[in-house]
Amino acid sequence: MNTVLSRANSLFAFSLSVMAALTFGCFITTAFKDRRVPVDLHVSKVMLKNVDDFTGPRERSDLGFVTFDVFADLQPVFDWNVKQLFLYLSAEYSTKSNALNQVVLWDKIVRRGENTKLNLKDMKSKYFFFDDGNGLRANKNITLTLSWNVVPNAGILPLVAGSGHISLPFPDTYETTKSY
Amino acid sequence: MLSIFKSIPTHMDYKGQKLAEQIFQGIILVSAVIGFVYGLIIEQFGWTVYIVLAGFAVSCVLTLPPWPMYRKSPLSWQPVLPEPNTEVVQKPQESLKKKKHK
Repeated sequence: MNTVLSRANSLFAFSLSVMAALTFGCFITTAFKDRRVPVDLHVSKVMLKNVDDFTGPRERSDLGFVTFDVFADLQPVFDWNVKQLFLYLSAEYSTKSNALNQVVLWDKIVRRGENTKLNLKDMKSKYFFFDDGNGLRANKNITLTLSWNVVPNAGILPLVAGSGHISLPFPDTYETTKSY
Repeated sequence: MLSIFKSIPTHMDYKGQKLAEQIFQGIILVSAVIGFVYGLIIEQFGWTVYIVLAGFAVSCVLTLPPWPMYRKSPLSWQPVLPEPNTEVVQKPQESLKKKKHK
């Protein structure tokens, strides 16, 4: 029986199928895109302290302070299947107890339509750079990398590492807390 | 209340039903292609969705109500046979039963 309701039903179902196909097309047009972008990182200041870590082991742990600059043009990453980017700066290093340590120092969200040119100077890290022991002191190879999650309209959630990282040595001595 | 809704004519003939289906499929497919290309060019998937929704609205207006173009070829029923007046009272009940079977 062909009624208004049955016609509306088939019309709605057909529209939904077409919309699903279009969404898949949106995904497939951007699925194989290279979302890497050159990133220019600079570290202007490194400070190392040895303080009580009240959350971890009940002993003094290494706490690093890194002041850094980030320059990058993220415009090529954006297309019609990108809602926003979640950028994060991570430090990677190896210690005697762990072959690979990864610590997120800082993050930032860049939405569609916002300024895609990163020109950030003298940034302080958002999160504590705590080692779980004394692995930061005199560590000669601590690598900072800017990576990003691409949040899409449809499809997979790629995790991209920006090309361009910086390795820095940490000082051999602790900064002593001044008492006034 | 329901009788008011039922009194609204919604019927299409068979050719009209086929035509209505072809029209809405055509409109939505065309708007989908246009929307996809436009969204790809301006890099905004939202506009693709809007254009498909516009096609949906247009085809709703064009194919949901039984416009006269969907009622051009009505089925040619046999004319109603005049009831013979000379029948006995019981006979019309039998003819009613036969109509139900059809």
